Amino acid sequence: MTSPLTTRAEPVTGHRAASAPPAPRPSWWQRHQRALAPYVFLSPFYVLYGLFLLVPIGVGVYLSCTEWAGLGTPRWVGLRNYRDLMSDGSFWTSVRNTSLYVVFTMCVVVPAALLIAQALNARGLRGRDMFRLAYFMPVVISPIVVTLVFGLVFDTEFGLANGLLEAAFGFGGIDWLGDPAWARVTVVILVLWRWTGYLTIFFLAGLQNVPKELYEAAAIDGAGPVRRFWAVTLPSLRPVTAFVAVTVLISTAQIFEEPFLLTQGGPGESTLSVAMFIFRAGFERQQLGYAAAAGVLLFLAVFTLGLLALRALKVGRDQ
Amino acid sequence: MTDLGRRSLLRGGAGLGLGLLAAPALTACGTANSAPVTSGPVDISLWTHDPGYITTFETAVTEAALTRGSRFDFGVDITNAAPTDIVTRMIAQAVADGDTPDLAGIVIDQFPRVMVPGIAEHLFTDLTETVRPFGDDLAKLAPYTVDGVPYGLDSDNSITVYYYRRDLFDKHGVPEDVETWEELAEHGERLHTDHEISLGMVSTAGNLAIVNGFLQFLLQRGGSLFDEHGEITLPSAEAVEVLEFMARGVRSGFLLALPDPYGSACGAALKSGRLAATAMPNWYNVYGLQANVPDQKGRWRMRTLPRFTGGGHIASTMGGTAFTVLKNKAHSHAALELLRRVYLTREGQLLRYRAGGYLPTLRPLYQDPELLGTKDEFLGQRVFEVYGPAADDLPLFHQDAGMQILAAVLGGPVLDALKGRTSPAAAVEDGLSAYREQVKR
Repeated sequence: MTSPLTTRAEPVTGHRAASAPPAPRPSWWQRHQRALAPYVFLSPFYVLYGLFLLVPIGVGVYLSCTEWAGLGTPRWVGLRNYRDLMSDGSFWTSVRNTSLYVVFTMCVVVPAALLIAQALNARGLRGRDMFRLAYFMPVVISPIVVTLVFGLVFDTEFGLANGLLEAAFGFGGIDWLGDPAWARVTVVILVLWRWTGYLTIFFLAGLQNVPKELYEAAAIDGAGPVRRFWAVTLPSLRPVTAFVAVTVLISTAQIFEEPFLLTQGGPGESTLSVAMFIFRAGFERQQLGYAAAAGVLLFLAVFTLGLLALRALKVGRDQ
Repeated sequence: MTDLGRRSLLRGGAGLGLGLLAAPALTACGTANSAPVTSGPVDISLWTHDPGYITTFETAVTEAALTRGSRFDFGVDITNAAPTDIVTRMIAQAVADGDTPDLAGIVIDQFPRVMVPGIAEHLFTDLTETVRPFGDDLAKLAPYTVDGVPYGLDSDNSITVYYYRRDLFDKHGVPEDVETWEELAEHGERLHTDHEISLGMVSTAGNLAIVNGFLQFLLQRGGSLFDEHGEITLPSAEAVEVLEFMARGVRSGFLLALPDPYGSACGAALKSGRLAATAMPNWYNVYGLQANVPDQKGRWRMRTLPRFTGGGHIASTMGGTAFTVLKNKAHSHAALELLRRVYLTREGQLLRYRAGGYLPTLRPLYQDPELLGTKDEFLGQRVFEVYGPAADDLPLFHQDAGMQILAAVLGGPVLDALKGRTSPAAAVEDGLSAYREQVKR
């Protein structure tokens, strides 16, 4: 069956075809416009993502298989840089130090931040804003200033720390920055001082979202403060804790500023972190391929650890 | 025609991205073809970390005595950056065929980075012909020489002398003309026991500072870390002897262990009078003493270093900044001429001394009447009467591309020896084996 519209239209079409030149063939763009439009709108993200993330990663991986001082053509050495890293005592020292920083941060800094947040969240606390400001202050002070002050505080001869120990306990000869073990302690003290307040803000925000009814119900059931903390606060803060733990894990695994500015990785290599090791290889020794190989390993380690932590703590999943 | 799928579009995008990235890389393969400027006005692009050099060059281009007769009408376009950044950015710019400086001031401890094969010879102008007329009159070329080719001219002889508090020496009966370090150490031990005063210092923070402190004594004693061929010369009787001397000094209190010679702890030691003397280069007068204890003006004096009983020199050296001329640039000729006028003429060397206190690198100038008559305001003495003999007996310092590695691996063992955690001989051996292990790669 033919529709009336089609029947009427046919003679007109035929007349035009006979009297006018044929319609120009639509351009490639006109034919694909509709199909391409979404990709064009999305493309800025993909172009930037590719240019500034994927390509550098690819170049980094390529560089890690080369020997390159920065000028000239990189020389392909295959996996030699990785093999050398495996037998490089300095690299393993930096891995051990970084592991120490990570463990300390996870086991001390994160719990300390939670406890401070709990204290700041207490009802009737006077000067709450002042405390918040005080705890948050270290993270906004320039790390240069911080390390200068810490250098003076922990100086063996003229430092405040030894002066206080001398006054309080009668001994004060600790070589904070010159003894390998104490130097590590000093770096972790700096990490504790600098980051605890910052993490406290996250926990504080989480605590303020815990429904008060839960505490009231727990209190009615006879739970004391400690029991309420374990049974109400901690479970309610689980998403925040997981987020904080994962971000802290990832950032501490790449720790650089604190040991670099306070001890320059010393004495010897006792506070050298993996990120510092990479910096040293790349920008002090011009071993860019070697630095890239260490960077790739750090990336893989951080990525794997982060992924495991995300899964273990179920970040971003429904409870 | 097939439909354009998501996969093919993404492939196309990736190709485009790589193409965009490849463009500058391919461009970098070409050579800088700017036509050389041979006369007329020229703005020399200069990168430096030190405000003193900024003053020096800004003044130099306006000094008729320096620029007279030149084909160029010099100006300077200055970029001030951290010492490490100067080298890093210069190399990065060179790779990208970007805007490298015409003249770059490279701090001595950063220079080993460009001694790595393939960098200095590609970046810098060979100064062999420029320095040839001066022969042995020109000092401190050795640290900036790669495979026998000089690439940088140092700004300062960086002569280490002995600064001391004359008032405290008088008060506590320490003769100003003590002949040897060993004799001075006995006075130092007594002063520390009786008054908690030290007559020298060692650095304990940062591997580079620790190694520099050790190197300064080692060079004076006649030892070295590298020879002129870049071979390591650390394992020596002199190295062990010097480290033993330093460790003994720290133990007895004759030498004060401080994180570094500039920071707040050192400032406190100087202010309190606990540090009454120290062996440091000429620039320490301004950056150490005058910066920390300006109120002690007139109380400090300087002299040549006491000798080691076992031999060596009456001076040493630490620090410095070499100026290099980037090659194959439009302004390379002009930059080289400016450098020659400021660094290799009497007028230029006097100007540098006046602008920033940089000691001449041309040896005959230590007998120049104008300099010999110069009285240092802070010390209150004619300093070239001390610098002259010191410059005549200045040890040579050679370095190599592995210097940064050596500093990193030697710092820990040296500190261990200073703190008595290991013996000096073991420290030298540990540093050497760690160095050999790392340079093997």
